[in-house]
Formats: sequence, structure tokens, C-alpha cells
Amino acid sequence: MRRVLFILLLTAWPALLHAQQAGGVAGEGDHTMGGRFLRLFDLNDTGVSNMRRALLGAVFLGVSCGLLGSFIVVRRMALFGDTLSHAVLPGIMFGFLATGIVLVGAGGVISADDMVRSPLESFGAFWKNSGCSFEFRVEELTKNPVLIFVGATIAGLLGGAVVTFIRRATRLKEDVALGLVLAVFYAVGVVLLTRVQGLGSSEVTGLSGFMFGQAALLTDGDLKLMGAITVFAVGTVAIFYKELLLTSFDNSYAEAAGFPVRAIHYSLILLLAFSVVVALQAVGVVLVSAMLITPAATAYMLTDRMHRMLWLSMGFGIFAGVSGAFMSFFFDAPTGPFMVLGATLVFVVAFLFSPRHGVVTRWLRQYSRAAQVQRENTLKAVYHVLEARDFEGEGVSLRELAERRSETEEDASRLSAELARHHLATLHEDGNQVHLTPEGWQRACEIVRNHRLWELYLTNEAKIAPDHVHDDAEKIEHVLGEEVVRALERTLDHARIDPHGRPIPGLADLQAGLAPEGGPDHILGFGKRL
Amino acid sequence: MSENIEDALPLEIHDLTVAYHKRPVLWGIDLEVPKGKLIGVIGPNGAGKSTLIKSTMGLLPWSSGWVKVFGKPVKDNLSRIGYVPQRESVDWDFPVSVMDVVLMGRYGRLGLMKRPGREDRDIARECLEKVQMLPYASRQISNLSGGQQQRVFLARALAQESDLYFMDEPFAGVDAATEAAIVTLLQELKEKGKTLIIVHHDLPTARNYFDMLLLLNMRVIAFGPTESVFKVDLLQNTYGGRLTILSEVAEEVRKKT
Amino acid sequence: MSELIPPFDFQKVVIDTWTNGPFAIYGWGWRVLMGFLVITACGLVGNYLILRRMALIGDAISHSVLAGIAIAFLLTHSLGTLPMMLGALAAGLVTVGLIEFIHRKSRVKQDAAIGIAFTSLFALGVILIHTQMKGTHFDANCVLYGDLMAVGQSLVSVELSPLLAGKLKATGLTGETVLQGNELFLAPGQVLRMAVVTLVVIVLVRLFYKELLVSSFDSALAVSLGINATAIHLGIMSALSIVVVSSFDAVGAILVIAMLILPGATAHLLTQRLPVILWLTVAYALLSSVLGVHLARWIDCNIAAAMVVAGAALFVLAWIFSPIDGPIAKWRARNASVDQDLDGMGESAEPLVS
Repeated sequence: MRRVLFILLLTAWPALLHAQQAGGVAGEGDHTMGGRFLRLFDLNDTGVSNMRRALLGAVFLGVSCGLLGSFIVVRRMALFGDTLSHAVLPGIMFGFLATGIVLVGAGGVISADDMVRSPLESFGAFWKNSGCSFEFRVEELTKNPVLIFVGATIAGLLGGAVVTFIRRATRLKEDVALGLVLAVFYAVGVVLLTRVQGLGSSEVTGLSGFMFGQAALLTDGDLKLMGAITVFAVGTVAIFYKELLLTSFDNSYAEAAGFPVRAIHYSLILLLAFSVVVALQAVGVVLVSAMLITPAATAYMLTDRMHRMLWLSMGFGIFAGVSGAFMSFFFDAPTGPFMVLGATLVFVVAFLFSPRHGVVTRWLRQYSRAAQVQRENTLKAVYHVLEARDFEGEGVSLRELAERRSETEEDASRLSAELARHHLATLHEDGNQVHLTPEGWQRACEIVRNHRLWELYLTNEAKIAPDHVHDDAEKIEHVLGEEVVRALERTLDHARIDPHGRPIPGLADLQAGLAPEGGPDHILGFGKRL
Repeated sequence: MSENIEDALPLEIHDLTVAYHKRPVLWGIDLEVPKGKLIGVIGPNGAGKSTLIKSTMGLLPWSSGWVKVFGKPVKDNLSRIGYVPQRESVDWDFPVSVMDVVLMGRYGRLGLMKRPGREDRDIARECLEKVQMLPYASRQISNLSGGQQQRVFLARALAQESDLYFMDEPFAGVDAATEAAIVTLLQELKEKGKTLIIVHHDLPTARNYFDMLLLLNMRVIAFGPTESVFKVDLLQNTYGGRLTILSEVAEEVRKKT
Repeated sequence: MSELIPPFDFQKVVIDTWTNGPFAIYGWGWRVLMGFLVITACGLVGNYLILRRMALIGDAISHSVLAGIAIAFLLTHSLGTLPMMLGALAAGLVTVGLIEFIHRKSRVKQDAAIGIAFTSLFALGVILIHTQMKGTHFDANCVLYGDLMAVGQSLVSVELSPLLAGKLKATGLTGETVLQGNELFLAPGQVLRMAVVTLVVIVLVRLFYKELLVSSFDSALAVSLGINATAIHLGIMSALSIVVVSSFDAVGAILVIAMLILPGATAHLLTQRLPVILWLTVAYALLSSVLGVHLARWIDCNIAAAMVVAGAALFVLAWIFSPIDGPIAKWRARNASVDQDLDGMGESAEPLVS
């Protein structure tokens, strides 16, 4: 299986060599919003074929950024991704400038473009002609995807190396090193860019797409390169999945187990540089890091498994890319920012509504838990009223309930209605009398038991003063699970009296209220006095 | 409760519960610390010893209870507390000299925007003298050994001229000479009527260094004169695992709130 | 290659810069001065970011003030100083708040939270600028690398009374371009604004020196001394936002990061004393702005970027000659210890360094 993948990767190489230059214009035709929508269906519209290329590019970038971004987020290298994406700018510029280098000799002129496309012939020509020299010609400047890719990758790797060097050779810390490389490399790129803008080459405007992203400028050659890189990245991750997983989770363990952690780390940086290049034209230098971080962070919030995180991250990346391409088409604006906003939107939704940890989900859960706590406190109050009169009579009047909880009768009425709604109690005599159902009785006993057991535990085992334990127990009584209660009962030797001398309900008492005689409305009561 | 401020206890803690990421770390702590004593805080890792000190000084929020220093709430009486933190808490590459660090102890007394004056510098020099670090006054702090760093911290605490001192593992990782010097210094402070509460990591030496011991493991196991507290059963309670239920319940609380 | 890199004409690059009316309209002196002020202000604030290990939050805020500026424009329809500063301030504080919110309320770690917060705000800012602010002088390039060339297009002038004008002319201090009639030409508006900001930063650093020092070094101590560490933190964030937005026109959103970090980083390589670091920051600002302008004159490129590149060269020089970290110092130390061993001593008189 691995060999098949490897061969697939090798076949990507010819694609690199046959990069073509096809022109891409943002599109003639109707530029109003409605008009633009209708154009989507016109197969001959050049603006729309740009759009289709943009969509394909978005898919590629979603896959590669989502994939590599996951590893970045998990290894806490998010800001390294940001540094890398800014550091490639000088590389892009060098790749661009390299196309201006021509070989001039007796046999004619060989441009850098030619050298890339047919290296063997160029080499042969160079060999034959002894009197040739290199020259730089502005008019030859053009956007060659391969050279730009090579330049960007070299710059990215160089940037990574410089960060490591600064960390090792000086006392400056990691964040300073990252910021320095980010800004200085970027500045070098800007110097080159603004210099070249002054040279008057017509191709320079094509470079503006690299800043904020213009997916509509993607050519077929660009797409082939992006596709090849994406396939390579996916293949490499698939082949080395377990190594990447292990070193991301526990680097020192991996090293101790004999894995080449340094090589893996640098390979990851290399792949990262590749995915930056893939995303570059669509999203732009400044915002590429968002496409690496945001979809992956969203996936990180939603799942506990790495492989699911990878799939989710790629999916979110594709969604962001595609939606961004559409939006930029409608607003006639750069694609990068829209893709980022798309990714952020997905993040916000997941952040708020994620099933387990979403902010809104948790708030709702807390709200319902608070309601549950209130019901349980009401049950407890009913129990206390009953206990105070030795469990004679089943009904508790609203007034007694209100007094017990130091509230108004209206509140008591509302609370008992709540209980009734949850089948924990039934109301009699126009709602003035509260009778616990068997469920209600059981829950009330559990709460009181939890409270008193906990108080006993704190005073006996934790040696906390008796007057301190009540507040604590008020909180804890609602959260104790059955297992912990069993453990408490065992530790306390199944004690029956709490620190204040009151009886602790046991299992038998809980069930006593469920006896079939007398029907569900009758509580047999906790009549066993000690 | 003391009426007269003069008689006020240096430290009073009542029913203090502190949670960390919603998980209770200290549970219902009650403590009344008498004046002029050298007190060691002992307990296993994760027992909440550092948390106790930090929350007492208001560096960590507490869920319930209160703390009074010399009869007043902590926030109002910070100037009477001196603090020696763990050495790891600080970036030793920071571009300051030994003298600069000790002068920081005086900042609490200067108002906003005021600079340390001659008197402050004199006091700083005295404190450095007491810990035998005066020759290093202009040295940058990264060029110091572990023991020297600890002494600088101590000098800073001395410069604060407080009455109640908290120290977090001051003996950790220092050489024998520094350890002896610190002990002597602490005794001197005690003689002057200062109260010293010291988190300590080493059981055997605890017996020798301190007048009183506080055995801590999420809650107070015992507190009193060293001889009556340093008993096998109490120590077993502190270091043993009898109270795993407490940690389990703490976990339940974290999950469900 | 001569097309790409022009020949170095010393006369044009260095001499002319300073002799052709440097402080007149379009004078190069203004650009140097603006660069100097920007780098000083940024460098001083940036020093505290370095000490507090918050350099990347500086990166984040420098990007997100763009959204603040755009929203301020949308609300007030003016590009005046006050709305811009308030917008930037709000954006800075929102960013800090968002970062905290994201990483406290979910399992997302702080580095990813920073990335998400600032890129989304930056993207929002770019979209707003592109769609709503067409026709203002704000354009994409300005965001990316600023436009120092534009400094000096016009000078702020003050109307003097004829008596005062006459006296001023009599002193002979002012040339014909500075004093025209009764109008005294001072400086470009941007330079004046930046000078005020820089001055305020210097004053604040001086006044709150010890509070900044303690809270950066040992925040627990700061709290126990009664210093409000949170207020200091918010104060630094606010100063950062203001400094970034004031530098925006000149250097853009990304190069400002270099201006924040490079000065302090360079100084850190040369000394271990904080007051010296602060002074070196100012010296660095002067050197890099002057050298940067010369570089830009030579190569004909963006001036702010050239200042950063010049500054990077200073950084490398500082590293080479660094008394602590540099290769020369380390080579010397190795040789020195070899000598000592050869002397048969083996022990040094210095106490152990651990």
C-alpha cells in the first residue's frame, strides 16, 4: 500500500515540469451582484471559469491547510505558522525575479522559464556555447509557479532555521525570535517588492494577489502545482501518520523510543511550507496562518481523536475556502479575508454550540442544573417538614414549606408546581398540600442522606469543625454519585446518625416509600425511629 | 476575636476554601497563628501548601471563608506581609542587578511614581549585608548560583520590613552553607518578634528548624508545637492516601459545576 | 544586475538627502524624523512586551487595530486622530479580551487563540476598508507597509502676529521657507502627532519605571506590594494600541512588529541593565532611521521596510559583538579558560555560576 502511494507521489513530478501560463482576468461581463449570480451559469464566461478554478484551488488549500494545521495546533506551533507565512515573501520575490535572469550567448537567449521547462536542452545549449553570460532583463519578468514555489519553500525553511538559531545562540526567548523572523523577512520581501514595482514591469500587478489573495488569478499551471503539492502532503501524512502522532503527543517518549524526532520535526516544517505556498495565492501572505489555525482549532474543540480531527479540519478548510471564493466573487474583493471570515464563522458556531463544551451549551446545561438543584432543595425542605413532625401525615402545606425555606407562599407555590411538573410530587386541595410521589420521596431521601453522610465524613475523617460542614454539604449533596456514596458509607461503617444527631436515611428507607400497598400517593414513611 | 489591634493575631484564617479551575484545592481551612513563631508548613505534593500562601495574600481567589492579617482584611494590610516566592517563579535572565531586586522590596512603601531614595538604598545594602551578598550588589541576577539567588530573595523580603513573612520552599536546592545562613537569619527575625510561615519540603529537618508545624493535605490535619505534632499517626494521615474520597468528590464538583 | 540594484551614488544617496532642504516640504529630514519617533515609541513599549514575553500579543494587536480603524471610520466618517485612536484602543482591548475568552472557555490553547482573534479582526478590517473606504487615502498597500514618502507633503503652520513675525525674522534664525509672511511653518501634521505620542510614552516610562519593572519581573511580588498588576497590564496594552495606530500611516500593520521588537532585542544583546537597554533603544531608533532612509534612497524601495532591514543589520552586528552571547565573546571565553588551565590554576576566583 505504501509503495503505491509513493509511486503516486513520484507521478506528481511531471506535473511540476509542465506548468503553463494561461491568462486570467477577473472577468468581463455584468458586474452587478445579480448579474454576477446569473453569470455563474454561463459556461463561456471567463470570469466564471476563473471562479471554477478558484473553487478548485479552494479545495486544495482546504485540504492541505486543514491537514497541516491540525498538527500545528496540537503541537502548539500556531504562531510559528504565522511567522512562516510572512517569511515566504522574500522567497516569492526571488522566485519572481529569477525569471528575469536570462542566458545570453551566441545561440540566442534562454530564459529562466525555458530552463525550468526543458532543463536538459538548456543545459546542452549552455554547454555548447562557451561565450555566454547571465543577464537580468526586466521585460522577461513573469510569474512562474515553479520558481515561486521553490523560492517560497527555501525562504520558509530558512526562516525556520533562523528562529532556531536565535533561540540557541542568544538569550532571546521564543516569542521574540518568531517576531523578529516574521517582521525582518517580511521587510526584505517588501523592499524587493517595492523596488520591482518601480521597475515598471507589467507583470508586477500579478503579484498583488499574493498579499491579500486573489483566487480568481489562479492559472491552470498554478492549480496543477497546488494539486501536486496537496497530493504529496496528504500522501506523506498518511504514510508517516503514526510517527507524526507520537511525536506530537509526547516528543521525549518518542525520542527515547528511538524515533528520529528532529527529522520528523523538520519534515513537518517542510510540509508546512508547502501548504503555505498552496494557500498563498488564494489567501495571501498575511492571512495564510488563519487558514492553518482556525479550521484546525475548530476541529480540535469538537473531537477527542486525532484522525477525526484531521478529517473535520480538512472539511472546515474546504468550506472556508469555497465560501470565501463565492463571497469574494460577489463583492468583487480579495478572496483571502472572506475565506478567513468563513473559517472564523465556523469556529464561532462550534465554540458556542459544540455539543459538549460549547459556551452556549454549557450555559444551558448550567441553567438546567440550577433548576434541578432548586427542585432538589425543595424536596429536601418537604422532607425536613415531615421529619420535624415525625412523619405523621403525608401532606405538607404551602405555608409550612414557605416557613421552612424562609420564602413567600407564592414562591412555595411555584416551587411545588415545578415538582409536580417533574412528577416528583402531587398537589392536593387546590394546590395547598404537597404530597411526594415515590420518585420524589426517593430523591428527597437521597439528598438528605448525601448531605448528612458528607457532614459526617468531614467531621470524622477530615477533622473539620462541625459548624463549618453545613455550607459545604449544601453544595456537595447535589453532585455525589452513587459510587462515591457507597464508598462513603463503607468508610463511615454505615453510620446512621449525622454530626448533629439526626438520622441518615439508608437504602431500606429509600425503598420503603415505594411499597405497592396503598398506591402511589401513599408514602409509608420513614417511621422507623432510632 | 481580638479587640485590641496590638494584640491582633498575625494571621487568622476561617473556613477558607480555594478552588483551582473549579476543583477545590483547599477545603475549610481554619488557622490561628500566634505571634513571634517560626512555623513550618508540611505536606505532600499537590497538598495546597503554595496555594495556601498565595490565597492568603490574595494572589488567588477564594470560594469561601476569610483571612485577617493583624486584625484587618489582607488587602488593607499588605504592607505588613513579606513574601519570598519559589525561585522558579521568576525569569532569571531579566536585566536587573542584585541591588535592583532588593530595592523592589521597598517599592511598597514608595508611592506611585516615586523613586527609591538614599534611605531605601541604605536599607537595601544592610539587608544584602545580612545575607552576605553585598559584594554582588551590582551583578546581574543570571550570574548567581541557586543559593545566592535564594539569598537575594531573602534580602528583598527583609527590605520590606514586614512583621509577617511567607516563604515558599526557601531551602529547596540550596547548598549547605546557604541553608545554615538562612536558618540563622530566620532565628534572628523571630527574636525580633516577627512571625514566619515557611513551606518546607523536607521532613527530617522540619523537626529541627521550626517551633510549630502545620500539617496540610487539602485541609488542616494538625497544627501546633513541633513536638506534639510530629507524630507518626498524624504524619501518616498527612502523607497517606486515606482521603482519596476527598479528591474524587473534588473531581465531581469540577465536572458538575 | 544593474537594473535591479542601482549603483551606489554617494552624492545622491547621502549628501543630497541632507542638503536639499531636508526640512522643507517633501524634505527627507521629515521622513527620518518620523521614522525616529515611530521606532522610539514602539521600541520603548516593545521592550516591556519582550520582558513580559508578550511579543506575539504585540503582533496580534498590530493586526487587529485595522478593524478598529475601519469601524471608527464607519461610525464617524472621519479619519481624524481622535476617532482613530479610540478605535484602535477599543480594538486592542477587544483583542486581549477575545484571546482570554477563547482560551479560558474552551480547550483551545493560547497560541491558537491569539491566531484566531487577530486574523479574524484583521480580515474584517480588510473587507471593511475594501468595500466601505474606497476613495479615502487608505488602501491595501498602506496597510501592508505604510507610506513614509507621504510624510512632508504639507506642513502645519501657525499664524503669528506681525510684530512677533518681524522679531523672529530679525533674529535671522528662520529661513525664507520656514517663515513666509506671517506664517510660521512647523512640521508635518503626522510628525507633530507622533512627537506628542512619543513624548507621552517617554514620560510614562519614566514616571512608572518601578511599577513597570516589578510587575514585569515578578507579578506576585507586585500584587503583594500593593501594585495593581492588572492596571499596569491594561495600561501597556493601551499604550501599544495607541503607538501602533499612530505609526500606521508611516509603517503599516506588519512592519510595526519589527519596530516593536527589534530595538529591544538588539539592546538585550548588548547589556543586562534595564536603563541602558532603554537608552540603547533610542540610539537604535536614530541609527536605523537614518540608515534606512539612505538605503531607500539608494535602492528606491519602501522606506519603512528599508529601516527594518537596516535595523536587522544592526541586530546582526550587535550579536557578533555581544559581550554575552556573541561569537567573539564566546571565543574569548574559551581561550581565557584554556589559558587559565595552562597556568595550572584550574580554579577561578569567581564563585560558581550554576
